[in-house]
Amino acid sequence: MAALIRSLRAVRSLRGLGSVVATTCPASLYGGLRRGFHRAALLASDSKSDQTVPPPSHHEHYQHEDPWPNTSYQDQSGEQAEDYETEDQLQARILTAALEFVPQHGWTVEAIAAGAETLGLSAASAGMFDNGAGDLVLHFVGQCNVQLTEILAEEHNQVQLGQAEKKKTADFLRHAVETRLRMLVPYIDTWPQAMSLLLLPHNIPESLKHLSTLVDDIWYYAGDRSTDMSWYTRRAALTGIYNTTELVMVQDSSPDFEETWVFLDNRIRDVVNMANTAKQVQATGEAVVQGLMGAAVTLKNITGVNQRR
Amino acid sequence: MTLGLTLTANMAASFKELPRRIVQIRNRSARFGPRNPLGNSTFRTEVSAYRCCSGAAAGRSTHFGFESVPEGEKAERVYKVFESVAQKYDVMNDAMSLGIHRLWKDSLLRLMNPQPGLKLLDTAGGTGDISFRFLEYTRSVREGQLRHRARANQTPSWQEIAAGYGSEGEEPAESRAVVCDINKEMLKVGKERAETAGITTGLSWVVGDAEELPFNDDQFDVYTIAFGIRNVTHIEQALQEALRVLKPGGRFMCLEFSKVSNPLLSRLYDAYSFQMIPVLGEVIAGDWKSYQYLVESIRRFPDQETFKEMIEEAGFFRVQYVNLTGGVVAIHSGFKL
Repeated sequence: MAALIRSLRAVRSLRGLGSVVATTCPASLYGGLRRGFHRAALLASDSKSDQTVPPPSHHEHYQHEDPWPNTSYQDQSGEQAEDYETEDQLQARILTAALEFVPQHGWTVEAIAAGAETLGLSAASAGMFDNGAGDLVLHFVGQCNVQLTEILAEEHNQVQLGQAEKKKTADFLRHAVETRLRMLVPYIDTWPQAMSLLLLPHNIPESLKHLSTLVDDIWYYAGDRSTDMSWYTRRAALTGIYNTTELVMVQDSSPDFEETWVFLDNRIRDVVNMANTAKQVQATGEAVVQGLMGAAVTLKNITGVNQRR
Repeated sequence: MTLGLTLTANMAASFKELPRRIVQIRNRSARFGPRNPLGNSTFRTEVSAYRCCSGAAAGRSTHFGFESVPEGEKAERVYKVFESVAQKYDVMNDAMSLGIHRLWKDSLLRLMNPQPGLKLLDTAGGTGDISFRFLEYTRSVREGQLRHRARANQTPSWQEIAAGYGSEGEEPAESRAVVCDINKEMLKVGKERAETAGITTGLSWVVGDAEELPFNDDQFDVYTIAFGIRNVTHIEQALQEALRVLKPGGRFMCLEFSKVSNPLLSRLYDAYSFQMIPVLGEVIAGDWKSYQYLVESIRRFPDQETFKEMIEEAGFFRVQYVNLTGGVVAIHSGFKL
């Protein structure tokens, strides 16, 4: 009988708690909290206690409580928040570790499995990546873009502080594209495979996003603040330059990719020339139009049509 | 406090009536047969009330198909079911699912995408379907890798030869599968199949209970349980054992019958299950009751989302599920991170 009353009280209190929590928190948090309370209740009622997952001893602690680690609940989760990491961070770590196996295995799930093993995880955790090798390539591209942005921001700071000279636009573009392409050098043998993965239909949205942010960042740090059509034309031009230079680099066998940089110089010069030519054509066009107008007025004067009576 | 007292008074009053009502309902269901499974919902609430009241008393009850049996008995009755179906298990699988169960198991392997060198624990593996497929898959992947490696080494430069001196014999590792089942008859049938298929290495057969696995912690890379977890008395315990024996980063995969979402398909499926399958069981295997239990236990198993929550509660991460054949079967997958 006493056990009966105790169990009833426990059930009622849990239900009460549950309803209070449900009114204040969104459904996703409720799930996590409910799990926490469920565990506490189990321990309290002296049933066979379920063991909590033992923290892995030989690598970092992981977040156990929250199945949706991207909500703000993560920050309130307690004292050891800095030691815990989300699933996304763990995935990023696995992919970064997998990069060193790419020259050996190519851009494949085997490389991811090998990377996971270096972190002390079983190779089966490579199954976490639904997109497989595509995830690895996209992670690498994103990482390179972030690195490039940091480098450009640093140089921008130095220019602001007056420690460095401001480059001309053409030189700046050349420097930025070269820096970015040099990040591919360690993986240049397998880069064609990576490019083909990026072109798969289900990867195209992501890869286009990475490419456009890359080009946008480069132009931003080059000083472009335009708000008219030239915003689009500039980015389109740089996208073309970047893609063609990448293709040249993949089949370049000269020492230190000299021919690639020569190609890059030529392409940038072409674009700059074309911009200048466009301006000239516009100016010339205006001048020609004005000349024609003048000729027409003179003709009218001569023939006396313009005479005011 | 008074509320508690009135509750207990009501409980005490209804306590005596419950066993009688349960017997009545069981008789009712026996009379009407399985044709209106939904009519047993009241039965289910009675059972849960009964369980709540007698928490401290001995023998909680659980479901065995649409029956209610004490928990201790369920394992024994499941054992008897599988002991009697073991010889005709594979034939019946093909007959009941029209061979589609092979596609389901192939999908499980494809989703797993195992690399060579992994250790698999095939729980409730019985006749070894998943383990055979696992070994075949990893072996063909391994052969592909060896071939690729050989092709790449056709004309090695002197640097590559020099670099390769220390690392001789560094081939991709062999993968191993352990089939664990509580039922010796099923394992016997499985061993005979392995012999006829000519699979000799990389396979072990172990008798064990999914709720209490006879293995140390952190042993296996992949844990699978195909069409077995609905027969386990305490599913949460089985999930916790799975978590225990998996290595960090290991993967839990469960292939099981689940809820069909499409109402039209659901009606066809119900009709097929309750009309055809026990009849097939009687004709081919001479055992109506076992296959009656089979289709009833499918209906008693929680649906996809509920099971996903149970897996998450056991401590797995990145729990996802995939429906096959419109929800007739679902593959749940989680990671021990």
